[in-house]
Amino acid sequence: MIEFIDSKKKIPFTSYFKWTSFLSGFLVIISIWAIVTKMNYGVDFKGGAEVQIKFQKPILLKNLRKNLEKSHFKNVIVQTMGVASENEYLLKISADEENLNKITHSLSSSLKKYFINDGIEIRKVDIVGPKAGDALSRAGAKAIVWAILSIMIYIALRFDFKYSPGAVAALLHDVIIILGIFALCKFEFTLQTVAALLAVIGYSVNDTVIVYDRVREHEAQSPDLKLSTHIDRALSQTLSRTILTSGTTLFISLTMFFYGGESIENFFMAVSLGVGIGTYSSIFIAAPITILLDKVKV
Amino acid sequence: MKKRWWYRCGFLVSLIILSLFVLIPTIMDLGDDDTYPIHSKINLGLDLQGGLYMVLGIDFKKVYRDEIKVYGEKLQQYLEDQEIFTEILPIDIADPLDPKQRLQLKDPLQISQAIEQFKKSGMGGRILRLTSAKVDHLEISLRKVEKRKIETQSIGKSIEVIRNRIDEFGVMEPEILSQGNDRIIIQLPGIKDVKKAKDLIGQTAKLEFKIIDNTISRITLESWVQKGRDAGIDYSEGEKFSRYLDELNLFLKKDLPKGFELAFEKTSGSVTGKNVSFVRVPYLIEDHTLLTGESLSDARLSFVQDGTNKPYVAIVFTSEGQKIFSKITEENVGKQMAIVLDGNIYSAPLINEKISSRNAQITLGNRSFKALTEEGKTLALILRAGALPVQLDFLEQRIVGPSLGKDSIKKAKWASLIGCSLIFIFIIFYYKFSGFITMITLALNLLFVLACLVAFGATLTLPGIAGMALTIGMAVDANIIIYERIREEIKAGLNYYQAIQNGFERALLTIMDANITTALAGLCLLNFGIGPVRGFAVTLLIGILATLYTSYFVLKLFFELYIYRLQGQKISI
Repeated sequence: MIEFIDSKKKIPFTSYFKWTSFLSGFLVIISIWAIVTKMNYGVDFKGGAEVQIKFQKPILLKNLRKNLEKSHFKNVIVQTMGVASENEYLLKISADEENLNKITHSLSSSLKKYFINDGIEIRKVDIVGPKAGDALSRAGAKAIVWAILSIMIYIALRFDFKYSPGAVAALLHDVIIILGIFALCKFEFTLQTVAALLAVIGYSVNDTVIVYDRVREHEAQSPDLKLSTHIDRALSQTLSRTILTSGTTLFISLTMFFYGGESIENFFMAVSLGVGIGTYSSIFIAAPITILLDKVKV
Repeated sequence: MKKRWWYRCGFLVSLIILSLFVLIPTIMDLGDDDTYPIHSKINLGLDLQGGLYMVLGIDFKKVYRDEIKVYGEKLQQYLEDQEIFTEILPIDIADPLDPKQRLQLKDPLQISQAIEQFKKSGMGGRILRLTSAKVDHLEISLRKVEKRKIETQSIGKSIEVIRNRIDEFGVMEPEILSQGNDRIIIQLPGIKDVKKAKDLIGQTAKLEFKIIDNTISRITLESWVQKGRDAGIDYSEGEKFSRYLDELNLFLKKDLPKGFELAFEKTSGSVTGKNVSFVRVPYLIEDHTLLTGESLSDARLSFVQDGTNKPYVAIVFTSEGQKIFSKITEENVGKQMAIVLDGNIYSAPLINEKISSRNAQITLGNRSFKALTEEGKTLALILRAGALPVQLDFLEQRIVGPSLGKDSIKKAKWASLIGCSLIFIFIIFYYKFSGFITMITLALNLLFVLACLVAFGATLTLPGIAGMALTIGMAVDANIIIYERIREEIKAGLNYYQAIQNGFERALLTIMDANITTALAGLCLLNFGIGPVRGFAVTLLIGILATLYTSYFVLKLFFELYIYRLQGQKISI
């Protein structure tokens, strides 16, 4: 049998907890600041319009911008999409609801006329009115909150109440840091991101459950030993398994991120981050909080 | 092998056959062969095949206002029949979602009679509530029950009308659904002319016949419009014309004779080459509607037979409509009738004589033959499909071009292939023959997920493909959990048979926990998530069920066979 990690080795995880707690706390605080100040909300939540265009021949970006200005489309932001050789651009319009429809239509017609020789093609148009944007934001937030709540209840019922807060803390930690990284790197926060976050929430709990499962087994076998000893043993034994499962999922996720195209880039970026951070938090957040609560209770 | 194993094996084989059966239309192009019972290919989402996705919202405030106005008039008529005379005051819209209509009693002493009559009228009960009945007036508003009824009816009728319009337009497999109690979601896959579709869907198409007042001169009317313009009330391209009209009419309330309002006919001022400049001609029309589009039984594009071949829309009235129309024309010979579409005068023909036939014409103005034919076709279509009972707002629109869809599929396929092959290599390297068994269960997993999607008529979207990738990840995890456990048991000294049994047994709970928590998250997304990402939740949930079956039960089935064949030799894991 080929093995990565010798399962007999016992790594003193609990001794590292102080350092990792500081690290995590620090990251969470930075993330919250980044989310509040820098978050880049996509058109799904902010409202507005996005037009994705592609040219058959390379064009000069400043020509595009000049043409837009000439046609009185002042508040249009132009972004390059993907690799330069693809000649794809994303035009973002933020306008109030009444005009979005008309503006997008006249924009498309004018672009089609002007750049007809460069083989312009309108690939995608997204228009989200502010009312819809608000509704989607609320729906997204509700979904995330309920997911965390229902998982908290499930863990409390399946294991023990003392395990639940640790798992939830790990989940919140993951969500906040992922969003923080998105905010800092200016990735767009869209509906896809919300879907990915929910996938991460559901998935990240898996490692936590694997560990808890093992801890419970140990507790049943030797109830007089300290909880931290059980946790150390459980973490060491499951380390191989944790790394393998997270590793394979991360692998699939990264492949899809690099090769899957821009349409699902956002999703797999969030999932990849989530798997990595989720594994970290299952070991270094869920467990120490459970120990803490255990001490407090006793 | 034990009998039970054979039963389970048989179950698996029948599932495989069933899935392949369901998936054949997707894999092979059967054309129009009707003999094969399953027709549906896998449903591709808009982001994979291109098309239009729209969310339309209904603003019920106006609907409530119109309804309470109608009931106000009904109540007034009822009370009049009982010799109680009232005056209808303007609607109170302090709370726009609960408009109140006040009926002022001409004789305040009749108040208690009025209240009694209101109760007798039967309009109390489920429809109206009396919000105030003091001293000299009755105030009514709509009950919640009635409001809900209006909402459901409006949405139902709107969906029906839109469906009629889209059917005529010829879109393959359109999807029109209501969401909540004030939204309609429309998906039009593979649609080519997006603008036409949007115009077709958005137009209220309320057809009304009203009488025009010729007594006031055109010059006076123009001066009133100018007065409005001077006061800053003007129409600019891109705004809602109806809003301009409402503002103007409100502004000129004192100037306009009672019971009349201003409306415009858009006629072509001059046609020079391709450019047509439009002129808006004001008319004074009665605000009382004599006949609506409801009284039409048919509308067709026709061409004038006098040699000019000019296009027009021929309409046919229902028998009820014909009676009313003939009465109107009889009573109004010499006057002009305005044919009003969505508040704009389409044409204003002169009534020469009483018209008792069921047929009438709507002329289309002056433009090129092609433009008029297009317009006539669209107008006839809209009239046939019926008017939308409410005005719809475009809340969300997503248009995906077909090339983007194809590209997305290509890239997703390519990435999945790379991902799967690499996982394949790793799993076989790490777990050897057991890894090979894993690959088989993964293939079955995908097969079942796709078959379920087709069977449930669910749509495969790009996030759905992401969901499948995640499902594979979780399926591999489940296998790893089982294998690692088996390894532990082997190391602890158990024999292979026992190790495998224990491995599966101990791992089951962990796998269930892992999949249930992911399912919980998926259910939350399904419940709250809207639109494009819904496909992810659906695929994920189906994937979880498939994973539970293939990565546990089917795997167990294979391992039991494996152990049986091994006969005590070393297991490859």
